[in-house]
Amino acid sequence: MSKVTFSPEAKNQFEEILSRYPEKRAAMLPTLYLAEKEFGYISPEVEVYIGELLEVPPVKVREVLTFYTLFASKPRGKYHFQICRGLSCDLRGCTKIIEHLAGKLDLKSEETSTDMKYTLTEVECLGACETAPMMQVNEDYQGHLTPVKIDKMLKDLK
Amino acid sequence: MPAMAEKIISPFFDIKNSHTIDVYEKHGGYQAIQDVLRNKTPQDVIDAVLQANLRGLGGAGFPAGRKWSFIPKDSPKPKYLVVNADESEPGTFKDRYIMDNYTHGLFEGIMLAAYAIGCHKAFIYIRGEYIRQAENLVEQRDAARARGYLGKGIFGTDYDLDIVVHRGAGAYICGEETALLESLEGKKGWPRMKPPFPAIEGAFKCPTIVNNVETLSYVPSIMTKGPEWFANIGSERNGGMRLYSVSGLVKKPGVYELPLGTPLREIIYEHAGGLLDGRELKAVIPGGSSSPILTPDEIDVKMDYDSLAAIGSMLGSAGIIVMDETVDIVRSLYVVTRFYHHESCGQCTPCREGTGWAEKILKRILDGDGVPQDIKTLESIGNHIIGNTICPLGDAASMPLQSYLKKFRHEFEARVASKNGTGQVVEETVEDWN
Amino acid sequence: MLKITIDGIEIEVEKGTTVIQAAEQSGIEIPRYCYHPGLSIVGVCRICLVEIERMPKLQVACYTPVGDGMVVHTNTPKVLRERQAVLEFLLVNHPLDCPVCDQAGECWLQNFYMQHGLHDSRMLENKVKKHKAQAIGTNVMLDSERCILCSRCVRFCDEISQTHELGIFNRGDHAELMPYPGTELDNKYSANTIDICPVGALTDRDFRFRTRVWYLSETKSICPGCSQGCNIYVHHNDKRDYKADGIRVSRLKPRYNPDVNQWWLCDAGRYGFTSVDAASRLQQPLRKGGDDLHETTWQDAIQEVSTKMQTIVETHGPESIGVILSPRMTNEGLFMAKRLFQDGFGVRRIACHLSPLQPGDEDDFLVKADKNPNTAGANLLGIENCSITDLLDAAKNKRIRVLYICEHDLELGFSEDEIAAALKELELIVFQGPNENSVARRADYILPAAAFVEKDGTFTNYAKRVQRIHQAVKPLGQARPDWMIFRSFARQLGLSSPFFDAGDVFAAIRESIPAFRELSYEKLGDFGVGLEQKKTVTEMEASVV
Repeated sequence: MSKVTFSPEAKNQFEEILSRYPEKRAAMLPTLYLAEKEFGYISPEVEVYIGELLEVPPVKVREVLTFYTLFASKPRGKYHFQICRGLSCDLRGCTKIIEHLAGKLDLKSEETSTDMKYTLTEVECLGACETAPMMQVNEDYQGHLTPVKIDKMLKDLK
Repeated sequence: MPAMAEKIISPFFDIKNSHTIDVYEKHGGYQAIQDVLRNKTPQDVIDAVLQANLRGLGGAGFPAGRKWSFIPKDSPKPKYLVVNADESEPGTFKDRYIMDNYTHGLFEGIMLAAYAIGCHKAFIYIRGEYIRQAENLVEQRDAARARGYLGKGIFGTDYDLDIVVHRGAGAYICGEETALLESLEGKKGWPRMKPPFPAIEGAFKCPTIVNNVETLSYVPSIMTKGPEWFANIGSERNGGMRLYSVSGLVKKPGVYELPLGTPLREIIYEHAGGLLDGRELKAVIPGGSSSPILTPDEIDVKMDYDSLAAIGSMLGSAGIIVMDETVDIVRSLYVVTRFYHHESCGQCTPCREGTGWAEKILKRILDGDGVPQDIKTLESIGNHIIGNTICPLGDAASMPLQSYLKKFRHEFEARVASKNGTGQVVEETVEDWN
Repeated sequence: MLKITIDGIEIEVEKGTTVIQAAEQSGIEIPRYCYHPGLSIVGVCRICLVEIERMPKLQVACYTPVGDGMVVHTNTPKVLRERQAVLEFLLVNHPLDCPVCDQAGECWLQNFYMQHGLHDSRMLENKVKKHKAQAIGTNVMLDSERCILCSRCVRFCDEISQTHELGIFNRGDHAELMPYPGTELDNKYSANTIDICPVGALTDRDFRFRTRVWYLSETKSICPGCSQGCNIYVHHNDKRDYKADGIRVSRLKPRYNPDVNQWWLCDAGRYGFTSVDAASRLQQPLRKGGDDLHETTWQDAIQEVSTKMQTIVETHGPESIGVILSPRMTNEGLFMAKRLFQDGFGVRRIACHLSPLQPGDEDDFLVKADKNPNTAGANLLGIENCSITDLLDAAKNKRIRVLYICEHDLELGFSEDEIAAALKELELIVFQGPNENSVARRADYILPAAAFVEKDGTFTNYAKRVQRIHQAVKPLGQARPDWMIFRSFARQLGLSSPFFDAGDVFAAIRESIPAFRELSYEKLGDFGVGLEQKKTVTEMEASVV
């Protein structure tokens, strides 16, 4: 039995998610997103809990969690900079942009700042090549990046 | 040159609130589905799409009408339509534009396709990173429900249809239709062996059609303007127009809606404004990073499935990436190979081991420690992944390896000095087994 | 039936047969890792790729169903080259552990490389590093770097044991096999994953570093752990016994039998052979003198015991002898015992089955609650006509004066006090068995019996299947098979005993027991004969694992 559980509101959302699919297990990805929002990240306890909710062995939950890149298996910073290193962005100078951002944040890819404010990740093509070089900050795409633009962005983020 | 046609999707890029029902209807939207529901049979829709020569616009180019006809008509199981909005092929961003600006055009295409195959529930599998797009899809889907355009008895008929928006979680392999189905079912994106094909046993073991966003988005216009109109645009057996994503070192990167068969040269120099700073073209990728690279003397090729296949490349997702004289081709191959290594699902041996190995070799070459045998090894890796894997990602990783090394071999040869890091001359001792 | 031609050989197969199965039926073995006949088909290793005419790409033989008129080639230059390529890919990240890896000598990466690879390495990069030498359960050691991700073990845990401990996490060449963190691979069948692992990723902790497998000899037998009678191989170290620290039997492995255990063996049975080489083995006939046990000879022991028993029979009648045989004995041992005690001594009361105080565990797969291999055999031979409780009771009340006990540890079914109360009144206690136990220590005569790996014979499982065991190693010390000991007694008593090997005894069983009438050692073959079904399993069903 897992030690964590959804709040009543999250439980309602979970029930709605379940109703979308003919099989419980298909709710895996949306449930992981819901759990990430609810608990901040997917810890081993949360893996076990989701396994119970969806009636799958916890090993199958963890396989999904570790296969995909977007789920947080450890806590992330308030601002998650996902900077694109795809070919089109590479052609338009993303290496220098990555260097600049990493320097400003003093982080390497996959690292989170100790004050939990920033996480930096190098990611593959985000599908916004016409704005290269670009990155995703939390939910939004920011394109046509320059060092100046990045500096201003960092200053504006609280 | 194919006749210039009025555009269907791209005008919506510049119309305000084009993602809403009212704006879509103001421009003629939702007429096709109402006409079809009341006056046409599912087979009529399939026949129209077949006649229009609409090919799958996600990458494979399989005729859409033919795929729909594989659904067994006598099966008692529910049928599913799954919309492939996983758009992750590097250089491709057209589906994002469709979802942002032609939302209800996509929905209407979904409705028509669903009716054609007898489906009452459609899933839109959208890549996890497209968060705003997913929110918009949900919002517009809810708006459609509120109008009675989705749900029980759509448009006042007795046909039920609903749409579920399902977000992916960061895996290019989930753009492959069977991996997508596995992911939809809540598992890792490990592609399945075929047969059975999804039309027979797809989502939840039921007959399923997986179609790309763009493919479905052209169905409404095929129904309103007629299949002959669509087929007459484009080239023989490659009907209609499509969205070309152009990026890289051009003046005007963006999405351009043009007939199938438009010459590549025209797209680069007329529509995308030509190369930055007037530089010389060095290489072009025509159809997303998987497609074999082209040299400047090849850019008069017509951008359709058959013409590109004839010169040993592919139209794929029509993601055009332009490289100029300043570009390091060796680095480009490294970046592309790094991508396939990162995205390989790991299920089958050649792709799992080969992509990682090739990336390491290319990194070593970039770092100045390449040796002559590396070229043969890289070619060999490409030659022995291709055709031997469960899914086309292996082929997609191999084609850049093969084409870059074939067409730009001199650049690689110059890079792999016959010295190793210590300055000693290293002889090629490995047997020439390729 | 469908026609298929493989490498020029045309055969007919049933619909649904795959190309790899059809090839096996033709005597052609296509190399494979992920394919296992007892598990689902996944087609991930890609080493079974073959050429099929009129199909443009190579196809995996494990998954492709035979089509009528199909023509397959398994050794064209292209097929051989791609096979070699798969091996090269597998060896890209596989660690060079052969010198320290238990799988060496039975490793499919080594074997297929020698048969189909033989390329020189051109891998100059650093290999991907993963967790090494992790004990993931009581019996299983995992080295993730060696793992070729064939997923056989994962499918075993999902489909056979249905315990779902194992998963493959991450993706690409960082994909790693491991149990769910914080859990262990500890189901009752965990060690089967070791058998099916083609390489040294999953290895046996019990067997770890014990012997190089090329020193092992292989003998067919039956597991004596319960009444299921799973078919096994006994792997014994004859060639380098001086390095074996006295462990002659190195390990047990399951042997395929489609009607009993398929490809599987439970952990309890697999590791239940320690008694064979344990210090508790009885190796000499012993006689109690005073408070001590003294070594004696077979001749003396047989003679003395016979004389003593005969005297007691003459004085107090044959009812004064109680015999406890054991359903751990072979049919041959039981038959000779009954013949001796009934015809030779006129004994009336023979018991056999012990009801354990702790009931044995059971499941709906292979494990049976009856932890004896030959209960059904004892029943078919009509051995028992009273219970052990009766005999102990009779002993306590001095209604019997002799107890001849075979193999049982009575403490499994009775309290120390009950046993002591019974045994202390007896004039003669004889114990015959392979290992010492609490009863043996109280006996007046101890006759060392051969362990199950040290004799030929037959067991009858719970479903009345009669199966052969074969002698793998020589009996330890002076130990002898039960049937041979009883033959010595019979000869001592002047009973005709034309039995020169276990087969002769089985022939006698056939003549006197109707149920066994149509059997013979030849008919029993490798898979045994089910007395209820009256048919043998054909060898066609045996698959190469």
